[in-house]
Amino acid sequence: MSAAEPLFELRGVAKRFRRGDVAVAAVDGIDLDIGAGELVALEGPSGSGKTTLLQLLGALDRPDEGSIMFEGRNLAGLSDGDLAHLRLRAFGFVFQQFNLIPTLSALENVEAVLAPAGVSGPELPARAAMLLEEVGLAQRADHLPSHLSGGEQQRVAIARAVANEPRVILADEPTGNLDSKTGADVIELLTGLAGVRGTTVVVATHDTTLAARAPRRIAMRDGRIVEAESAGESGATMALP
Amino acid sequence: MSCFTPSTVFYLRYIRRELSRRRTRTLLTVLGLALGVALVIVISGLSNGLGNAQKTALNPLSSIGTDLTVTRTAETGNSGLGGGGFGEAGALLQANQSVITDLSKLGKPGTHFVHDFFLPGTQLTFPTSQGSRLKALPGVAAVAQGLLLVAEHQSGTVPKIVARLKTGGQRFSFRRRITPLSAAEQQKLQACLQKNGVTIPAPGGGGGSGGFRGGGSGGFGGGGRPRGRFGAFAKCLPKRFQQFRTTFTTPQQTLRQVLDPPQTNIKTTPYTIGGVDQTQPDIALVTPAQVTKGHYLSRSGHRQALVAGTYAAKEKLKVGSKLDLNGEDFTVVALVSPPLGGQTADVYLPLQQLQSLAGEKHLANVVLVRADKSSSVGSVKSEIQQALGSSAQVASSSQVADKITGSLVNASNLSHSLGLVLEVTAAAAAFLLAALLTLSSVGKRVRELGTLKAIGWTQRLVVRQVVGESLVQGICGGLLGVALGVAAAAVFDAVGWKLNAHSTSGGSGANLLGLGSATLRTAKQTIELHAPLTLELVLLGIALAILGGLLAGAAGGLRAARLRPAEALRRVE
Repeated sequence: MSAAEPLFELRGVAKRFRRGDVAVAAVDGIDLDIGAGELVALEGPSGSGKTTLLQLLGALDRPDEGSIMFEGRNLAGLSDGDLAHLRLRAFGFVFQQFNLIPTLSALENVEAVLAPAGVSGPELPARAAMLLEEVGLAQRADHLPSHLSGGEQQRVAIARAVANEPRVILADEPTGNLDSKTGADVIELLTGLAGVRGTTVVVATHDTTLAARAPRRIAMRDGRIVEAESAGESGATMALP
Repeated sequence: MSCFTPSTVFYLRYIRRELSRRRTRTLLTVLGLALGVALVIVISGLSNGLGNAQKTALNPLSSIGTDLTVTRTAETGNSGLGGGGFGEAGALLQANQSVITDLSKLGKPGTHFVHDFFLPGTQLTFPTSQGSRLKALPGVAAVAQGLLLVAEHQSGTVPKIVARLKTGGQRFSFRRRITPLSAAEQQKLQACLQKNGVTIPAPGGGGGSGGFRGGGSGGFGGGGRPRGRFGAFAKCLPKRFQQFRTTFTTPQQTLRQVLDPPQTNIKTTPYTIGGVDQTQPDIALVTPAQVTKGHYLSRSGHRQALVAGTYAAKEKLKVGSKLDLNGEDFTVVALVSPPLGGQTADVYLPLQQLQSLAGEKHLANVVLVRADKSSSVGSVKSEIQQALGSSAQVASSSQVADKITGSLVNASNLSHSLGLVLEVTAAAAAFLLAALLTLSSVGKRVRELGTLKAIGWTQRLVVRQVVGESLVQGICGGLLGVALGVAAAAVFDAVGWKLNAHSTSGGSGANLLGLGSATLRTAKQTIELHAPLTLELVLLGIALAILGGLLAGAAGGLRAARLRPAEALRRVE
């Protein structure tokens, strides 16, 4: 089951947005533990609070209520700089819209996370090229995102997400903009890379078939966890049949 | 920057990619900045140019230290410099009448003549000793005198006067009382006549004289009588009567005379001439500082002349040209640009030489006064006014400058009042343009910047990136703007937009005397407008662009980078 020492420990976490005069709770009092090396599927329809919860986990946002502990540290107590450092080193993000820098080539998009981490000189393009090779895009390294297909772009995004060997990969609807075949390829790639590195993966998705392959599924509705279940054995992967 | 890490290469490449791959936006920003910078440069340049032009027009006046000019214009009142010696208006009118040409003095008929007449115009002359007295007044540092005359240059052919004479037409009548014949003479006559075979009735038959009068036809004529008898008669008359007859034979003549007006081709060109106290060049009518070409009058100034640039251009004179003034050759030693509004002339001679040439020995009509310090100008002015009386006009340099009008002054005033506003506006526009373009470009990149933050970029790194881009755009815009501005300034220089300034000197007395515009001196100066650029100006332009880019980049970058990544990512492009 989950590891003895949880990587994330969420207690009473809430996040509200104002929609006109009404405050809508995107995340409404969530208690959740996620262990190291877990593969978690966060499922639910649009607007159920998956993305918000993912962003809270990845320190892209701060909760209005409750606490988020990561590796025993309360994120609320960390400065913006510390959070940036965490995002750079500990978290890797994969977005539905890929979010590549449009003016940078595939290689440079990967370099964009290596450079702030202190990789420089000839090592920078070499490491980036190696990562692109891992996602099968060595031939497309010099292409701009606009010249890559959706699947290729998401592969670049995955290469970027794993570049600094994060402890957690947070993927928000990574297959949302892809056809099912490409989406399956992307998920395979993501889980494969995570598995090799022992990285914790949290995937938000409204695709139930995709979620069904995750060892642990957390269903959300209206900002709350409505159903949480774990597959029989720990360590199971979303390996394709 | 403190963040200059070995990975800087990546960030620079990112800037390059960002700018080159968003070419349209980059070009727009750079062009906008360049336009603003060019505008600031051109406006500042033109403003400088106007300032310079105005200095050219006014500076000689203010820089030489002539604080006051004293002149004397005709008035009906009786006072002043002349000490009653002058009949004011009448005297002036009389002085100006010497221009009436005495043709007989010009030379032989048919020969070419050139002659210059010198008239005092509207400024009455006074003895130089009067002007020198001003030197003693408190607060006066120096005094120089000048003589400004209106000259009439006449040239042409001395006319031949052709007269046609017709004689005849006069009538002479002569009357003389003749003593009648005495008895003895009668007898003698009779005897003589008888001797010559002529018989005459005895005296008393018709009266002596009566007989003679009637005898003209009766007695003498004798009708049908032979001529011999008449001859005898003539022979026998006393000498007295013989003489009487010859006197009356004088022939009659008629005399008539018609004289046509003389035909000639005399041309009159008016100009003004000034006598310069070349021994006091610093405050003379013309100073060495006003020489634009050549050298100032030598100490003696012998047969040397200065010519105003505008007059020289009109008369095609240059340094070294000869001026023939009533038979004396003067060499043009310099072209000068006399101060506008001051006491100006077209030609300048050393004072003494003009005095003798114009027959105005020891006379002057302008006194130039320099006060010992600028604060005493006011008191010196009233001292002089008091010393010389009401006919003396004492004008300070600032009053003279105020009289200058024309497009230069208008443009200069415009540049003074509007130039700064325009400059600030252009600078603000450049700033604003840079800021708006940067902000809008940053605004469109919120998601991208959010992504950067999401993948671990710190706020500082994001701001640095945006500022770096703005900086490069600012530098490009600045350089391009400077190039545009310099080019525009060069165009202005090449076009040589002309401004003019003019001032009218000469008193109101001119019209009073009916001398009118002939003696009214209007000084006009045309100055080409340039847009001089200084290194400071160019640097200012670049600095403005960079600063604008930097500030806008920092503001925009900071605004975007301060957003929480989640918030930034939620933004819809």
